[in-house]
Amino acid sequence: MSNRMDTIWSQLDRKSTAIAEFTLRQYRTRISTWVVMIASVVALLLILLFYIEAMNTEIEAIDNDGDSFDSDGDGYPNGQEKLLGTNPDSAEDFPSGVEPDPPEKWINEDDIDWDSLQDGTNYVGADDDGDCLEYYDTSSQRDTNDNGIECDIIVNVDSFNSTISVISDSGVDEDPDEDKYGKEAGHRAFILGIGKFGIVYLLGIFLPLFLATGLIREEMSEGTIHYMLAKPIARGEVLLYRMLGYIGITWPFILAVCIGLCLITGFTGPSDSLFRWQDVPVWMSIAWAAMLVSLVYGTIFCGFGIVWKNGVILAIIFAAWELGMAFVTILTGGDSSIRYMSVIGWGMIIVDAGAAIGWPDNWQLIEIGLWGGGHGEENWLGEVAFIPLPGAEPLSVFSGSPNLGVSNWLAFVISTIVLIFQGIMAWFIGQTIFKGKEVN
Amino acid sequence: MPDDDLVGEEPFEPVQDKVETYGAETPVTGQTKMQAAWSADTGDEETSAKVASSPQGQIFEQIYTPWEGTLNPRWMRNWAILRHHILGIFKKGHRPWNIPTRLFIFFVVIASMTDVALALLFGMIGEPTLYDIWGVNRDNLYGHVMGFFPRNILYYPIVAALLVGGIISEDRSHGTSALYFSRPINRFDYTAMKFLSVCLILLFIINGTLAAYYFVDILVMGKGWAWIIDTFPMFLAAFGCGIILSFTYTSIGLALSSISRGRFFPAIGLIAILMGTRSIAAIVDALFERSLLYIISPYDSVAHVCQALIGTEMTYQHPWVWSLVSVVIMNGLALYLLANRVSSMEVTRE
Amino acid sequence: MMPDMTQHGKAETEQWNPQQNVPVIMFDRVSKTYGRINALNSVSLGISGGVTGILGMNGAGKSTLFKLMMGKVKPSSGAIRLFGIDPWKNPAPYSRVGFVPEHEKMYDWMTAFDFIVTFSRLHGLTRKEAEKEATRVLTFVSLADVMHKRIGQFSKGMRQRVKIAHALVNDPELIILDEPLQGCDPLARTTIMNVIKELGAMGRTVLVSSHILNEIERITEQIVILHQGRVLALGNSHAIREMLDQHPHKISLECDDPRELAKSVIKIGEVTGMSFAEEGKLLIETNHLGEVHKQLPKTIIESGRKVTSIDNPNDDLQSILMYLTGGSS
Repeated sequence: MSNRMDTIWSQLDRKSTAIAEFTLRQYRTRISTWVVMIASVVALLLILLFYIEAMNTEIEAIDNDGDSFDSDGDGYPNGQEKLLGTNPDSAEDFPSGVEPDPPEKWINEDDIDWDSLQDGTNYVGADDDGDCLEYYDTSSQRDTNDNGIECDIIVNVDSFNSTISVISDSGVDEDPDEDKYGKEAGHRAFILGIGKFGIVYLLGIFLPLFLATGLIREEMSEGTIHYMLAKPIARGEVLLYRMLGYIGITWPFILAVCIGLCLITGFTGPSDSLFRWQDVPVWMSIAWAAMLVSLVYGTIFCGFGIVWKNGVILAIIFAAWELGMAFVTILTGGDSSIRYMSVIGWGMIIVDAGAAIGWPDNWQLIEIGLWGGGHGEENWLGEVAFIPLPGAEPLSVFSGSPNLGVSNWLAFVISTIVLIFQGIMAWFIGQTIFKGKEVN
Repeated sequence: MPDDDLVGEEPFEPVQDKVETYGAETPVTGQTKMQAAWSADTGDEETSAKVASSPQGQIFEQIYTPWEGTLNPRWMRNWAILRHHILGIFKKGHRPWNIPTRLFIFFVVIASMTDVALALLFGMIGEPTLYDIWGVNRDNLYGHVMGFFPRNILYYPIVAALLVGGIISEDRSHGTSALYFSRPINRFDYTAMKFLSVCLILLFIINGTLAAYYFVDILVMGKGWAWIIDTFPMFLAAFGCGIILSFTYTSIGLALSSISRGRFFPAIGLIAILMGTRSIAAIVDALFERSLLYIISPYDSVAHVCQALIGTEMTYQHPWVWSLVSVVIMNGLALYLLANRVSSMEVTRE
Repeated sequence: MMPDMTQHGKAETEQWNPQQNVPVIMFDRVSKTYGRINALNSVSLGISGGVTGILGMNGAGKSTLFKLMMGKVKPSSGAIRLFGIDPWKNPAPYSRVGFVPEHEKMYDWMTAFDFIVTFSRLHGLTRKEAEKEATRVLTFVSLADVMHKRIGQFSKGMRQRVKIAHALVNDPELIILDEPLQGCDPLARTTIMNVIKELGAMGRTVLVSSHILNEIERITEQIVILHQGRVLALGNSHAIREMLDQHPHKISLECDDPRELAKSVIKIGEVTGMSFAEEGKLLIETNHLGEVHKQLPKTIIESGRKVTSIDNPNDDLQSILMYLTGGSS
């Protein structure tokens, strides 16, 4: 590299660090900066409180198949009698020479055990408590879904139309463990919910609203911008380096929040090991999405501040639009294309991609929970409306798929590039307006 | 310029028996402050300075001219402030609310009347099922005041944010609060009138359109007395809810306005508090099926109380009394903050 | 898209060489309008070297002139050259310019030293260089002992000096000071004036704006008088004053009986001629306006005539100078 380039770069470096450092120190002197940060931490802690309470409360186990009952009153639970071949409805007929099991053993005794599902037809499930194999005598009774395999479940996955159908033989996987499932699903739903809505949207929009809208406008209205503009530095650079200072405060804050939440939920969440390592990629994608989103919003809001004295009104209107887009993106689970017209939509693609990488079984977990053992009421069409397991519905609401038609990693990269592009465009438009602005 | 005959006659009595602290704690007699206000002008110096001469130099003893006029009663002075703020929405020569604020208020008034228009339309063309949807009933009265989308996300909070944006903080940053405090107006009245003007403008929008909705329905549809007796309590309850809502928005907004310097912070702060708390509570409700956290959200607390008042279906699981307590606490805190800040406010240009 | 690479600062190894034959500041028929207000009207100026005072009443266009120079606003017509370069949108010449804005607002939370270090780094200095330079300029304006105190604690005169120091940090060839003496007490005034004079003695081009002629005359003799957006006079202040004295002035009096009044007025020695232009009007001619104005009130009272108005018709330069020199003295 030539000497000349060297000096230009080192000079740029000096100017940028000077303004960025100055901006950071300016933030430090403002009360509003601290109020905003403390308020967001308090709000997150408040939600965390509910999360920790939920994680430490046992979800009441439900005996979905009635195996823990002793209908004939002979001391043996129905499940044990069925397994040993005696009649659960007859007090005279009970297993001899065997101690009766405690009824708790027959609650949640047939958990859902599906192998990982492929696109197409899957034959999964195993009868853990033996009430399919032992209780039903004929093989047609054991194979109610008529696939030639006794005591199994057919899961048809059609990833093209994103539909899944579950047809099970009776008595298979019918009594899942609510607490185990509910904790896992609740934990994931919490991470996705607070990540997508709490951090990526709320933090991502309120930090810039408070911190970036006045970045140039306040200097202009106070007249102190003259000190900066009377220097051999282009206005676009001033904007860029001010944004750098803004990033210098928001990005570490977002990172700190995400790391803190990751540690707390990682240790309190349901896990076989001490720490839930599988959540780390999800938290990383949440932090990354929030950082990018806050950068784009910040540049846009700062531009609004340059354009108009009351730019905050434009910012609030824009924030309302983004709120709508956030709801659309979450509620459609990635099926809408209007989200491409927003910033938040792309941010949520990053989170969805991160969740798909960190928890490859997430969609399967949702389907299991929504099926919930196959219990439910039949409606007049003969369709069974399954009663979902606790936590399955929130998880399915807050989960989504990137739905870009590419792999998760590529979706992650593409949405990152789109967000960076949005940020650069916002900066470019902002600095063009700033350049043409007469500063009085 | 000392005039000879002024020295001998001593034409003005010195004001001696008045404690002139000009502080917030001074009882409002108006007298003392008025003197300061009128005498501060340089044009008065020839009548208000007494000259004492001595061999070494000259020492001027400043004596303010006592003001001889009669001061209007306190309510009249306060009414002038209130009028100044409210009329600023409609015409020039009063407090200059900026154009976007006025335009937005105009838009919100029109947009809040959609139910009036629809009720009228379907009532006129005689479509009973559609009229049932839009006509006056318990749910619609509640919805007119407390409906979340779009009324309490796009209309009323943003109007409140625009109104409180600069109402105290701009006075402080422009130094115009000194214009008030150099007159016979104490801080409490000043703040109360600012509060009242914002609250009244909000009330005009919310309850004004509510009343229009209700009475237009009565007049146009020719409702009988029985119907009016049936629905009037609901209307009153909805009206009361409008008052609670605008009071709550105003007190939180003004508290924010009093602690900040610019117009950015109070406006964004109000929106952030209203939307942020509600979003957080909604996340918790969706994840853990606990509605308790809604008591930190001003909108939801008021909405819960109003559901109880109007008697519509409750959408929250916790008892509504908790929400009522929360509304009281929120307003109390905000008003305390406001009173505290205004009474300790330095009347300088910041 | 990339930051402007053509900007050069002091830390450049290769010095940026402006064209030598161009004046530091060139205004070529520059006009600036804000809506329907004409702030500057076809102003042509060329300034190079020495201290120049820009004089004018409030709203005469002084600040607009400086804003145009500093590329803050765009000229409605005409061309501006700062070291031969158009400053609008091109910040390159500012590496040789120091600007002291009129605004009172400063970063009160910073210390004077930090303030200057931060902003001198925008000239491309390293932190070390900047610290050295900051100490130098703060000593120059004699604030070295308080340089680590917060600006918020400074008095107005000290703040002005901090602003001046901040403008000197890049060793500029052109220094622009917008109303540096406004609101300062006499002591601060003297200090700032000395600083400005010293800068002029160092061979810098210095532009100072003010609305008080006497103040400017203590710094420099080279003045430009602006009035209603036009250059009214330009040159040595003594020469301008002399020219004014040679220039016949008119005073118009409106009274009930001009002829009676004329008899008394003619007794004032400096009055050189009189005429009765219209009914009820007396026009006085003089070369020494100030003196006549001094004596006129007494004369009128003694004559016992009733005068309803005293006016100086069509005499901008004279009236503005009256204003600039401090009223009727």
